[in-house]
Amino acid sequence: MRLVNVGPMDYAHGVANIEGKATAITVLTPVRRGGTILLWIVFWAGRNLTFTLKKLQILSFIHYARWTVIRRFPDGENGDGQQLDHPYLFFESNFNGTWDQYIDAFSEVVALRMKAIWGTSIGFPGPLPVEAFKQYIRRNEYVADHYWSAYPGHTTTEIISAARVETAVAEFKKRSAKLDPDAFQAAYVSFLGKVQRDL
Amino acid sequence: MNGRHDISGQAHSLTVLTAIRDGHESALARYLNALQGGTASPLATVARTHFARWVVVGDVVYEGKGTRDHLKLGQLLFTSNFDGKDLDSYLESLRTGLGSAADEIWGHCCGYPGSDDAAAFAAYMHKHHVESSLFFGAYGTRTVEDVISSLALRRNLIAFALNSQGMAPAALQAAFQRTFSQ
Repeated sequence: MRLVNVGPMDYAHGVANIEGKATAITVLTPVRRGGTILLWIVFWAGRNLTFTLKKLQILSFIHYARWTVIRRFPDGENGDGQQLDHPYLFFESNFNGTWDQYIDAFSEVVALRMKAIWGTSIGFPGPLPVEAFKQYIRRNEYVADHYWSAYPGHTTTEIISAARVETAVAEFKKRSAKLDPDAFQAAYVSFLGKVQRDL
Repeated sequence: MNGRHDISGQAHSLTVLTAIRDGHESALARYLNALQGGTASPLATVARTHFARWVVVGDVVYEGKGTRDHLKLGQLLFTSNFDGKDLDSYLESLRTGLGSAADEIWGHCCGYPGSDDAAAFAAYMHKHHVESSLFFGAYGTRTVEDVISSLALRRNLIAFALNSQGMAPAALQAAFQRTFSQ
C-alpha cells in the first residue's frame, strides 16, 4: 500500500480522490526558468478577462479549481524555506465525472488555455494528443490522503440548476400569490414548463 | 490578511503547505488514510467548507530534463474551498471544528504550535498560506447553506410536480402554498 505520495500516482490507492460524485485532482509540475513571467500574464488574464474562464463554466463539471506557483517549500527551519532549482505550478480541481472524461474535456474544449497554463511546465507534451497529456498529468499527480465534500451526491450542473429553480420558485410565488385557483393552475403549468429543464 | 486572488464571488480558496517532520510521513499518511469519509470526516464539522483535502507530498517529480530537484522534507498540503472573505474566522472554525484531529495531523509537521492557542494556530496557518494565482468557482456566489437549501428545494419541487398531477385548481394552489411557504 502506498503511504506517501512521491509520484507517479498509485491508482490502486486512487479511491481517496473520490467522495461521492466529486473527484479531486492535485498536480505539481516543474516550471522552466522564466516561465513564471508568462504564468503571471496568463493568470492576470484569467482574473481580469472574464471570457478566459467562461469555457470552464460551460464545461459545467468543475466545482472549484485553483492554480498557483510555489517558489519555496517550507523546510522546517525558520528561514524563507527551501528554494528548488525550479518553481512548481500547483493545480487542484474538484469536479464530477471520471478522471478520463475530465482530461478529455480539458484537452479538447480548452486546449489553448491548457497550452497557456502548462506550456511553461517542463515535459508538458501539449494538450493533444490526449493520451500523452494524460500520461503527463498521471506522472505529476498526487493522490489525496483524505478528501471531503459538503454535498458529495451532487454534480455542478445540479447545483447550478437548483440555484435557478430557487429563483424561479421565488418569482412564481410572488407572481401567483393573488391569483384565483384557475388562474393559479394555468400559471403553475406555465411555470413548470419553464423550470423543467432544471429539474 | 486575506490573499487578493483567493476569492471567487464570496468563496475563498485556502492553500496551506507545511513541512513534515523527518520520519513522520508514513505515520501521517496512515492517519489520514484511515479517516472516515462523509459525515464522519473531521472536516464535516468545519463550518463553511465546500471541499477540502490533505495530500502528503513525499517529493517533487523529476521530468527528466535539467537539474533534479529534491525536497529536504516531505510536505503536507491542505486545501479548502470555503465561504466568506474572512480567513481568520475560518481558521478559527478549522481549529474548533477539527478538534483533536488538527493536532493528530499537523502535529506531524515542523513548528506546529498545537490547537489550544487560537492565535498561535492562526499564525501558523498564515505563515504557511500560499496565495492562489487563479481561483475558479462555478458557483462562487453560493454558500454551502445556499447550495444545500436550493438542492432540497429542487427535490421538493420534483416531488410536488409528480404528486400534484391531476389535482383540482383549488387543491393545487393550497398544496403549493403549504409546501413552499418558506
